[in-house]
Amino acid sequence: MRVPLIPRLALLVLATTAFYTYVGQMVPQKEVHPPVEIVLKKDMDTAEMVKVGREIMDGKGLCFTCHTIGKKGALRFPDLENVDARAKTRIPGLDDIGYFAQSMYEPDHFIVQGFNPGMPVINKPPIGLTDEEILTVIAYLQSLGGSPTVTMETKHQYNKGGGS
Amino acid sequence: MGSQKVRLALLVLGGILGLAALGRVVSYLVSHEYREPFRTPAGAQDATPRQQGLADEKAEAQKKAAAKDYVEPDYRAFPRVGSRVAVWVAAQLHLLFAAFVLAVPLFAFIIEAIGVFTKDKRYDRLAYEFTKLLSVAFSLTATFGAALTFMLLILYPKFTLYLMSVFSPTFAPYVGLFFFEAFFLYSYYYGWGKFHPYVHLGLGLGLNIVGTAIMLIANAWLTFMTSPAGISEKGAVISIWEAVHNFTWMPINVHRFIANIAFGGSVAAAYAAFKFLQAESDEERAHYDWMGYIGNFVAIIAFLPLPFAGYWLAKEIYAFSQTLGLTMMGGAFSWLFIIQAVLIGNLFLAANYYLWLGMGRVEGTNPFQKFIKYLLIGITLCFMVWATPRSIIATVSEVRSMGGSVHPILGFLGVMSAKNTAVNILILTTFMSFLLYRRTGKVATVAWAKAGNAIQLAIFAAASVFVIFLGIYGYFVEATVRIGLSVPQVGSVLLAMVSITAIDVFLFRGARSTGEVRWGKIPAASQYVLIFIAVTFTWLMGLMGYVRSGLRQHWHVYGVVRDTSVDAFTPTLGFATMVVSCTVLAFFLLIGFVFWLASLHDKKDWGEPEGTAAGGRH
Repeated sequence: MRVPLIPRLALLVLATTAFYTYVGQMVPQKEVHPPVEIVLKKDMDTAEMVKVGREIMDGKGLCFTCHTIGKKGALRFPDLENVDARAKTRIPGLDDIGYFAQSMYEPDHFIVQGFNPGMPVINKPPIGLTDEEILTVIAYLQSLGGSPTVTMETKHQYNKGGGS
Repeated sequence: MGSQKVRLALLVLGGILGLAALGRVVSYLVSHEYREPFRTPAGAQDATPRQQGLADEKAEAQKKAAAKDYVEPDYRAFPRVGSRVAVWVAAQLHLLFAAFVLAVPLFAFIIEAIGVFTKDKRYDRLAYEFTKLLSVAFSLTATFGAALTFMLLILYPKFTLYLMSVFSPTFAPYVGLFFFEAFFLYSYYYGWGKFHPYVHLGLGLGLNIVGTAIMLIANAWLTFMTSPAGISEKGAVISIWEAVHNFTWMPINVHRFIANIAFGGSVAAAYAAFKFLQAESDEERAHYDWMGYIGNFVAIIAFLPLPFAGYWLAKEIYAFSQTLGLTMMGGAFSWLFIIQAVLIGNLFLAANYYLWLGMGRVEGTNPFQKFIKYLLIGITLCFMVWATPRSIIATVSEVRSMGGSVHPILGFLGVMSAKNTAVNILILTTFMSFLLYRRTGKVATVAWAKAGNAIQLAIFAAASVFVIFLGIYGYFVEATVRIGLSVPQVGSVLLAMVSITAIDVFLFRGARSTGEVRWGKIPAASQYVLIFIAVTFTWLMGLMGYVRSGLRQHWHVYGVVRDTSVDAFTPTLGFATMVVSCTVLAFFLLIGFVFWLASLHDKKDWGEPEGTAAGGRH
């Protein structure tokens, strides 16, 4: 028995659509939720700040969308392994805290050789970290190749401090 | 023996169940036997009459309602599927019909112009056939547009009002252009054959200009959501022109303009395929085979430069925000591009298959058919490279043996250097298919034919080698250099296509024909291929529409208006593909209705005798 034309065409459309839906189910399935706000305690010590800073970099800060830790080869953005050791001497007159702060508040001010500008201003939307959140991120960055010294009271050139 | 035991067991079980059922019935009857109702003694009744109590309650509720403050909700919920899916489906259906309504006049106009200048009536009939599909599709576009607007206002009032406040100066021109669109479209359609050909062509030109202008305005609204410009940090408008002319506006305009043509061509080809399969005479089959060929030709020619427009769009997204670019290509949406690779690979394979089947239309043996297997090998290899993901879904032991989620060998094919190379070679190969099809049944007679062929082959080989060289070179250089390599790759492919075509035009001027093209003499499978291409194109548009919009993630306007609704999360790709599929099925159901309405035109009038069908009159 020959199937009439319209059901044949309907079957073709349905089968093609079903195939692509199937392909869609074969790739990794992940729901991405908006970043969770972390409530910062004012009296956090530096060790706690390092932990929170890592969480912020992973979530709200979206840092690991671009940056890596311990990856070699042709990269699009600087790898952060041992970054504190480099940060202390990267710009004359700026210590590591000052350099990290500048990288986040004014990312185009200094571009690491071999890379293109592209980092967003971190205290503005869409990322929009607060001054306190940025301090915790600095604490974590200091822990990568150095000893964290930053506290919740630390002042730098962008949070009403004169510089560090 | 065994069966006796079973029977006995069933008997016992049946008895128990029967007794249980009897017990339940008796218990029900006993508990429902008649009892005298309880009556409250007259002296113990409530002093407040029931009516008075109800009236007091109503008055209290009215008083509360009157004192209620007006609060504008940020969101309202759509029943069952939720607001996001409802708006998503309405917007996608609107876009699909809009793409069709914008694209069909464009090639109807071109085909009509060819007919006017060559005085070949076949082109006129073909252009009219395409235009017949427009009027119902135009109504459906407007209907879905209105549905989308109302849904946005009702379900996302705060965000929609913000968008309206930014773009309010664009609404009056938009409405005005819509009026002109209707004027041009209906006068173009109903005025077919009623005006001087040049006047009619003028109407077609007007229709295309107005349609494109409408698209440009609508594109400003949606691109602003992805790459806002012309506003303060708090979202206040500083410059309306900058808001319109944001980072992604022009790339989207170009991308959509080309994609609309490809999509419109493929749907029109599907219509021709549908009519071909329904045809009862050789003449009809010949006409619809030709129509399908032209529709598909338009679709594929428009499709070839589409990846380049895509590169430009991606580049502008990166230029606006690296974070947004990386979310697209390396974050939540990276696997979506593997699905896209499957779709585009299928489109290339199907388009080539249709061309190769079409070679059979030409009388006599075809000297080019021996090359097809090599082209097929090339296309398949490119497809495989393009669809290879960077990281692979693997078990823990597999990851351990690979030394990470990236395969030690195949992982190299998952990066942009390999993919850019694959897509460029894929385009070149399909272009070669076209060239071979064009030459079928012809022999060049110009004196420099041999040299011309050699130059064409040299250009093709040089472009291929250059593209592959840059692809390999990309593995050994820094990111800043590697990103820039896609430009010379694209440039060399475009240059090769333009120069080879230019040579071909002169090479085959006055060519000797070795066999007639027998329109309609093509296997029926080719027509199903055309429909498959149309469904794949539509699905691809749905998928890419999703990534363009979903890219903003939890922002209505990226970095400015945050999405705080229950739908602020990005769904899984599996869910997204299901929504896309539902939309595609709804579109084909509706476009089937459009095809059916268009085909009524050719049916004989009620009560007319046989053999007086209205086919071809206009």
